[in-house]
Amino acid sequence: MSAFSPAGLLALSGALLGLGLFGILTRRNFILLLISVEIAINAAVLNFVYFAAFSGSSSALSGQAIAVVLIGLAATEVAVGLAIVLGLNRLRGSINVAEASALRR
Amino acid sequence: MSVLTPLLAYAGLVPLLTFLSFVLVGFLGNRLKGLEWGGWIAVLLSGAAMVVGTLVAVAEMLSPGQYTDVSYTWLTVPGSPGTFPNGVSLVIGFLVDPLSALMLLVVTIVGFLVMLYSIGYMHHDHGLPRYYAELSLFLTAMTGLVLADNLLEFFLFWELVGVCSYFLIGFYYEKPSAASAAKEAFLVTRVGDVLFLLGIFIYFATYATAGGGAGWAASGFKFANGTQPFLGPLVGTNTPLLTVAGLMILGGAAGKSAQFPLHVWLPDAMEGPTTVSALIHAATMVAAGVYLLAVTSVFLGFTPDDQFAIVAIGGITCFFAATMAVVNTDIKRVVAYSTISQLGYMVLAVGAGVTMVGMYHLFTHAFFKALLFLAAGSVIHAVGTQDLFKMGGLRRTMPLTAGAFLVGALSLSGIFPFAGFFSKDDILGSVFQAAQAHPAYWPFFLLALATVFLTSYYIFRAWFLAFGGPAPRDASLPTAHEGPWVMRVPLIVLSGFAIAAGFFVFDPAFASLLPGAGVPPTYTATDLGLSAVSLGLAGSGIALSYTLWGNGRIAAAPTGIAAQMRTVLLNRYYFKVGYDWIGRRAVYTVARSADFVERYVIDGTIRGFEKLFSRGSDLLRRAQTGIVSDYAGYVVAGLVGVLLLILYVGPAIVQSMGGG
Repeated sequence: MSAFSPAGLLALSGALLGLGLFGILTRRNFILLLISVEIAINAAVLNFVYFAAFSGSSSALSGQAIAVVLIGLAATEVAVGLAIVLGLNRLRGSINVAEASALRR
Repeated sequence: MSVLTPLLAYAGLVPLLTFLSFVLVGFLGNRLKGLEWGGWIAVLLSGAAMVVGTLVAVAEMLSPGQYTDVSYTWLTVPGSPGTFPNGVSLVIGFLVDPLSALMLLVVTIVGFLVMLYSIGYMHHDHGLPRYYAELSLFLTAMTGLVLADNLLEFFLFWELVGVCSYFLIGFYYEKPSAASAAKEAFLVTRVGDVLFLLGIFIYFATYATAGGGAGWAASGFKFANGTQPFLGPLVGTNTPLLTVAGLMILGGAAGKSAQFPLHVWLPDAMEGPTTVSALIHAATMVAAGVYLLAVTSVFLGFTPDDQFAIVAIGGITCFFAATMAVVNTDIKRVVAYSTISQLGYMVLAVGAGVTMVGMYHLFTHAFFKALLFLAAGSVIHAVGTQDLFKMGGLRRTMPLTAGAFLVGALSLSGIFPFAGFFSKDDILGSVFQAAQAHPAYWPFFLLALATVFLTSYYIFRAWFLAFGGPAPRDASLPTAHEGPWVMRVPLIVLSGFAIAAGFFVFDPAFASLLPGAGVPPTYTATDLGLSAVSLGLAGSGIALSYTLWGNGRIAAAPTGIAAQMRTVLLNRYYFKVGYDWIGRRAVYTVARSADFVERYVIDGTIRGFEKLFSRGSDLLRRAQTGIVSDYAGYVVAGLVGVLLLILYVGPAIVQSMGGG
């Protein structure tokens, strides 16, 4: 069906996931953190789309449907996340997550 | 049957009367200054108790050998198959039998006389309501003890007399020596009490479980079943378990009756008022140990091995205590040692199988020993010291007391025809006979015989030192005078008993209270020879005493080895030092090691866990940084861990177990 092999496609989504995780673990800026989470989610979305395409016609639709749901979910997550960013900025004047450690202990 | 017979069922009135006295004096005594702070109430009620007690004893004499048991079941445990097939019941009751009637007679008469004497003797003391209340409680406990119809009730009252003794020895509690003497008496008798309790447990285990005699537990450990004394089916056999039980009972008796090696507390108990010494530590409570042995031998039976142990303890004690009396300079302590020694005679008799002869000596001893104590009390009351070497010539100022003490001394020495002669000679004769059958008894018979000499020596030494000679050696003593009538009457009455009580036993009615071998005494040629020997020994003791101490003489202080012996005797064979050493070193070391275990092993383990968790949680707490990325890191690490487990570790394990 296409020029991409399954292994190459999986490697691509794995790389995206790794990139997202790397961002989550290293970024201190809340917005960059959210973007990293988006990248990781999109790795999963990609996987759904690949497997839907490879698995044949009968179940193709369900994989794509989940992909669409996941995109919607990511959008809501960002909406909530950005609301928190605004709140945090208003409260502390900074969106550095390392400074928001009031839940310690 | 006689008109008095129905009274036998009301013997329980005696303890109730004295208990009423305890309650009245104890609660109202402080408001009764006019009645000697309640003393006269105690005299009145103990007098009533004496009347009832005497009538009960007379009723028992008129129906010889009758057992009258009035009892109430307190609690019944139904039987369960296996351990207690017949169940166990606890009973409170009053049993009048010849033995308890005799004891009731002694306790109530001496109790009343001592109570009366106290009115004069204690007049100047403080805390009299306490004194009379405690003395009344003691009489309650003691009469309850002699009337107890079962072993457990006996133990209950046994403990109660012990605690009364503790209170009364420590009557002058602000005096450190009295307080510590009370504690000593309590602790030493406690050793015996624990042994007694162990003995009860063994009897319980033997007679409460399946097998012969199991009905004993169901009937509440009663001494008598109807008209028959309970005698365990195993009596007379040398069962190891029963022998041990008998030895435990002997231990209990040794604690209460101050027998070797638990004798140390009795001389120190003289810290209490002299009246207390006369009633509790001469006539009644210390005799309870002998009574316990008698009750056990009549109702439960001793094994032959036990009997030998009892003979040995009795023989050793009577000699050993007499030696310590020889050098003592305190008038009360001399009499106290003689009490231990005479109790040894009684124990010896019980062990030799002539229980009733021992009880006979208990009866006469109670009177002449109470007499000696009250006479000594009269002296102490008059001159204010107990040191024999400060006294002297008191027979001129206190002729009645001197006479009373002399009667007591003659009776104690066993001079014919005083009471002590008959009972002590009866013991010597009976043990002599028993020794024919059991050669192992010989050494103890000889010790008892030698004690006769020592006894008459030390008691007359005390008499000569206190009453002989021209005048007191210490001129600073106040001029002596006889006490008031309340003190003189008991002396006269007790003197009468000390003279005549020996003859009572030839009256068949009285002798029916002492049913058994040797009472009344019969005199064969051998017995008469033995009497002559013991009279000779007693007489030579008096003679030696007169040569050394008569007419105000003071014997030269001994030198050389005799002086060393004197030191040993004055230090009571170092028994107290030894017990102190045991207390201080042995017990304290055990206590210290127990403390170590408690503090470092048990507590240490708990504290160790506490530290482990507090340190550990402190470490774990640091993982909570509050930084979101760190938590994300843990999630990723966890994810990687789970993946590794599923992909590599799990299959490796499955493979190593030989699976697919």
